[in-house]
Amino acid sequence: MIDRREFFSWTRNTLAGAAAASMMLRDGTLQADILGESNPGCPHFAPRAKRVIHICLCGAMSHIDTFDYKPGLIKAHGQALQSSDKPDVFFGQVGRLRQPDWAFRQRGESGLWVSDLFPHLAEVADELTVIRSMVAETSNHTPATFQENSGFRLNGFPTLGAWMSYGLGNESDDLPAFVVIPDVRELPAGGSINWTNGFLPARHQGVVIRPKGEAINDLFPARPISPGAEAAARDLVGEMNRRHLARHADDDVLSARIRGYELAARMQTSVPLVADLEGETRETKKLYGVDRAETADFARACLIGRRLLERGVRFVQLISGGTFGSPRRNWDGHENLKENHGLEALRIDQPVAALLRDLRRRGMLEDTLVMFTTEFGRTPFTQAAGDVVGTGRDHNPYGFSVWLAGAGLKSGIAYGSTDEIGWKAAENLVTWPDFHATVLHLLGIDHQRLTFYHNGIQRRLTNVHGHVLKPILS
Amino acid sequence: MRTSLILVGVWSIVVIGSNSSKAVDDADQARLFDTKVAPILARRCLDCHSGTDPKGKLDLSDRKQAMEGGENGEVIVPGKPEESLLWEQVNSGEMPPKSPLNQEEKTVLREWIAAGAYWGTARIDPYQFTTARRAGRDWWSLQPVVRPKIPTTSRPDWIRSPIDAFVLQNLDANGLTPAPEAERRTLIRRLSFDITGLPPSPEDVDTFLADTSSNAHERVVDRLLSSPQFGVRWARWWLDVARFGESNGFEFDEFRPDAWRYRDWVVKAMNHDMPYNEFVALQIAGDLLKPDDPTAIEATGFLVAGAYDTVGQTQQSGPMKAVVRGDELEDYIGTVTQTFLGLTANCARCHDHKFDPIRQVEYYQLASALGGVRPGVRDLSSLDTESKVLRGKAESLQARLDAIEAPARAQILASRKVNLDPPPKPFAAWDFDRGLEDTVGTLNVTLSDGTTRTSEGLHFDGKAGFARTSVLKRDLGARTIEALVKLDNLDQRGGGVLTLQAGEGLSFDGIVFAEQEPGRWLPGSDNFRRTQSVGAPPETEAKDRAIPITISYSADGSIHMYRNGQPYGKPYKASGLVTYPAEKTEILFGLRHPPTGGNRVLAGTIVRARLYDRALDPSEVAAAVGATSDYVAPAAMIAMLTPDSTTERARLLGEIESLGKQIVAHARTAYAVAPLKPGATQVAIRGNAQQLGEVVSAGGVAALTGIDANFGLDPAAPEGERRKRLSAWVTHRDNPLFARVVVNRIWQAHMGTGLVETASDFGFNAGKPSHPELLDWLAAELVSSGWSLKAIHKAIVMSASYRQSSRHDSTAFTRDAGNRLLWRKSPTRLEAEMVRDAMLWTSGGLDRRLGGPSYQDHGATKALGTAAMLYVPVDPSTPGLDRRTLYRAAARGGRDTFLDAFDCPDPSTITPRRAVTTTPLQALAMMNNNLVLHLSDLLSDRLAKDAGQEPSRQVDRVYRLAYGREPTDEERARAVSVVKEFGAATLARAIFNSSEFLYVD
Repeated sequence: MIDRREFFSWTRNTLAGAAAASMMLRDGTLQADILGESNPGCPHFAPRAKRVIHICLCGAMSHIDTFDYKPGLIKAHGQALQSSDKPDVFFGQVGRLRQPDWAFRQRGESGLWVSDLFPHLAEVADELTVIRSMVAETSNHTPATFQENSGFRLNGFPTLGAWMSYGLGNESDDLPAFVVIPDVRELPAGGSINWTNGFLPARHQGVVIRPKGEAINDLFPARPISPGAEAAARDLVGEMNRRHLARHADDDVLSARIRGYELAARMQTSVPLVADLEGETRETKKLYGVDRAETADFARACLIGRRLLERGVRFVQLISGGTFGSPRRNWDGHENLKENHGLEALRIDQPVAALLRDLRRRGMLEDTLVMFTTEFGRTPFTQAAGDVVGTGRDHNPYGFSVWLAGAGLKSGIAYGSTDEIGWKAAENLVTWPDFHATVLHLLGIDHQRLTFYHNGIQRRLTNVHGHVLKPILS
Repeated sequence: MRTSLILVGVWSIVVIGSNSSKAVDDADQARLFDTKVAPILARRCLDCHSGTDPKGKLDLSDRKQAMEGGENGEVIVPGKPEESLLWEQVNSGEMPPKSPLNQEEKTVLREWIAAGAYWGTARIDPYQFTTARRAGRDWWSLQPVVRPKIPTTSRPDWIRSPIDAFVLQNLDANGLTPAPEAERRTLIRRLSFDITGLPPSPEDVDTFLADTSSNAHERVVDRLLSSPQFGVRWARWWLDVARFGESNGFEFDEFRPDAWRYRDWVVKAMNHDMPYNEFVALQIAGDLLKPDDPTAIEATGFLVAGAYDTVGQTQQSGPMKAVVRGDELEDYIGTVTQTFLGLTANCARCHDHKFDPIRQVEYYQLASALGGVRPGVRDLSSLDTESKVLRGKAESLQARLDAIEAPARAQILASRKVNLDPPPKPFAAWDFDRGLEDTVGTLNVTLSDGTTRTSEGLHFDGKAGFARTSVLKRDLGARTIEALVKLDNLDQRGGGVLTLQAGEGLSFDGIVFAEQEPGRWLPGSDNFRRTQSVGAPPETEAKDRAIPITISYSADGSIHMYRNGQPYGKPYKASGLVTYPAEKTEILFGLRHPPTGGNRVLAGTIVRARLYDRALDPSEVAAAVGATSDYVAPAAMIAMLTPDSTTERARLLGEIESLGKQIVAHARTAYAVAPLKPGATQVAIRGNAQQLGEVVSAGGVAALTGIDANFGLDPAAPEGERRKRLSAWVTHRDNPLFARVVVNRIWQAHMGTGLVETASDFGFNAGKPSHPELLDWLAAELVSSGWSLKAIHKAIVMSASYRQSSRHDSTAFTRDAGNRLLWRKSPTRLEAEMVRDAMLWTSGGLDRRLGGPSYQDHGATKALGTAAMLYVPVDPSTPGLDRRTLYRAAARGGRDTFLDAFDCPDPSTITPRRAVTTTPLQALAMMNNNLVLHLSDLLSDRLAKDAGQEPSRQVDRVYRLAYGREPTDEERARAVSVVKEFGAATLARAIFNSSEFLYVD
């Protein structure tokens, strides 16, 4: 059997060579990687979604104040937690139970429960597929966020966007496959670790687009250069490289470089166009809330996100929230949840609802997947002394809510449930690998077959876990 | 197959014999089972039918289990194959699925059952043989290295080294021929980048071209191998597999200002050609092998170079903390086994390895061996030679100063003894050896569980115990806190002694033991906002007797710390003084800040404590703890001295101060292993730290032939012994993987692809090497050269195989696109660091100095109100950012988009081989990043300086600098026209962007 393995290993090389020879594909890259990884065979079956936009809430949004209606919690307000388990919470304090700070109502035709914290999202509730039974492996923000995005609690694993870039490539020649728009206030904790390519080739790393100022790094010369000098430099580079190519028997990699410069020049036109909202109608801008101070930042991010998707970008990640610390600027409402969530939700509610409406009316929601997730939820009991109904809530990895919308989903439904008070997931538990397997499934990818060899193992986004959530698929 | 045929024959005789006369005894039966039947079961059945979760609950590796059967009942009926489910399944071809047994194998099993299914050795070793799915103990890389015979080949004239004989043998076998030797300009550029990571100078090129001696190539090689820049390039090679980063990653991503010591150690080790076995042994256990050598301790920076989850490690939840520690150990185990041995032992944390013969229990043996590893900042100043000299000087000056001051001091102190200063009046006072009341004010104390009052004082259990007072009735700004405290142990990290806090810990200041620095007292504060190291020596006595610790907080923000009533370390000025508000502030004892638990709680006893509503001066502090202060105010001292002595005293003080600065500058601290004292390790069943199984001793992986995986240690052996044995096992000369793995890494770096493609994995997934004998020859050479890595470098780059041209050959390309047969030298793109270094070098702006703290090309800013760091890039033309890229501060959250565009790896992941991609982002970075624009200007300046104002001379110069050649007439004419119209910087920018600059033939 050694011979057989040897045979495979040789074949792989030859194939890599052949792939390189045919190169240039619409995948934002110009050449097959030397590691022979360019052909994971995706999609494996007909995809429902072609692209993803991910709204990633940092700091942990409270499920019991938003999408998980718990009359039991309202009834038990002010009481002590009745449980045989001693809660193992992050900051160690278990105060009295607290009812949600916002009223819940059934919305739309579906009657999906959404609280008054998200009045705009409530109006598009019929588009949402809420999962109310998420569980996370840790109650520590950053490892939990890593898990939300990469499936692993640790630094150095590729994130979902990087896996998509690797698996599906790009539909655009002149925009990156994986774009990240961080919160304008601050980067999330860990900065670029959150959109890392991990062990995948570096080109799968998320490219940061800023909604203001120069959209991406190095798009234009760092300082003014006269048009003449700019053109002269380009022409000369092109000539030199073509001459060099001719001396090197038309080597594929070298011709790919020349093509790279051509595409770079096209990006200089296409990227600013994406970030330029002038072409959007006043009605559209108003819909997203570009005109209101409270919503302008996230409205721009959502609108640019939609424009990126329209132009073939595979995966757009919008981040809501900065790092941890005081004063709060993400969803980590330990001290005063009402104040904290009120401010954070105001920033994103209208823009995200507008994004859904806009995608719908443009026919894009048919094959676009919208993800709205957070690393874990918050406790139904408060973070306070044992006999006090406090105003803040601690971390809760045992049960929380996320939602999806768009392609291939049953909408206006809630899947799974937590216990009476919303502390622990009780029915149809969903782990991050399950969630990721489902997302990949919607993209036409079998999560067990999207792999990359790294240090002894064919790595997967879903590690050795993951079940597709069939009941939420349409 | 021949074996099987013989076997069938043998067994037939046995069968006949046993039926008739019982002539065959038990020993023969056992031998036959072990040699004939067990191998079939091992090869064909045990992949699924053994281990912790066998398919169909049928375990065929064990006599008892096999005979009992699985979920479908009995499968072997001795003597009756036709009634045995095993036979039925095998015979029908159902099992093994997809690859039925061949006829001989079937016959053996049938006859074995028919003969009574006699079982030999009770447990079959499922790892005995390699199967279609995974490697066994017979896997090639686990066998001893054997120096191979040098083959004879078709073209002895081509052979320069035994390496070439192995290469040519393979080419011959595949009907291919090697490429001709590259021309000298190409060779020197190739050698220069490969060995030093920098281009050759025009002068180096000329010298080589002019050298007609037969050893011209060797002279270049020797010169480059002895260049200090060799160490810079090859340290980078090593740091990729050490997953070396200079910040913690995760939420806080704190910078590690002392991590560069390890990087410098690697550079020096490379340059001095430290024997590889020593190089590795020190990285695993340098602190134990050479405890007095600071460099050996710095070497252990390897183990802890990965990410570290500060938040996770100090969180409330015990079970979650155990998971984080488990992840940390997995990182150590994975790094040690992959990097040194090409073994992915980390895959065996939850179950036996799926592909390689590594059992789960062996993972935990390794976990035991590394169980004491924990990162920390080690103060090595006392071991540092220069530091020792400076300290010696300072001490002798101090002695002279003391001699001058002693009579005066004695006189002043004597008068103080007579009139012992009265203790200052506290604002609140607690004598816990007597009771819990505030004996001055009204701040009485309540106790939590885990706190007990004894005649000695208040004892806190280090788990939950603490005490708190009622709230302060007035605001408190400037103040002094004091506590007489005895510790249960000196290893604890972070317990609070006395804290003022408001808002449940949102702001606090207090006396904290050893939170950031082991063994030292610190002024703790919320998110370290007002905390700095005072640079005092570690505590040694507080375990044996109570020690008074005092901190004063002055209105200007300065913080003074005292131990035993004497100044402790250096005072410093914090960002400001916090005024604690009335009605919202309380005093905590035994807890750094709420909530209780974690490392915030103290294990120790507070005898008494005081709070003063002003910052006491040094003599008051002393008086308060019943000591006489040694402190004498300068004015009082001078008043007692003669004018001459006063002058001499001032001179000495000046010298001591300047020496003090030098001592601080020479302080030698390193981010390295700061070991723990681990208990015995238990197997975590399915990797779950809450479900512990058998206790194991430190040990290795048994499947490695030729060395003993049993370290002969007790499970509770001291951590030092465990780690030392591990380093001996890894670096043992008979370890079959140790030399093979590193020579393959070197080969890969020079030739583009390793003889084994997966450089950190020599297991089943690696397949077979392209040139197995060459691999063993190199490994044997490494050992016989005395573990000299430079000897291997030299052997490779001297070979004819290495010297081949990179010319394309379409016939060969169709057969072997990946060039694993080495029909040419594969062209390579410069690595990210080399791109930047080569531009700096060409522009004349490279600072070639070696060593020292990293340059920061990002502004490391502390996010507001947290310990988290954010790294914001700064303009690359900022002065001071001109050293080789190895010296870039590698913050995990602060990657550089320019370097990333050239596939610079994430420092959090072990990178045995870098990807090489070509993207438009790369073109954007090269055209537009200010690094390139800035260096284009510098290069333009250099050209004017080197070649004067004449454009054609500038063009000639830049071609020589950048490419090591003259331009053709056509190239010159074209470039000159650009220089004339747009200046040399425009030409420089184009040169940097050219393929010829970025690729090496």
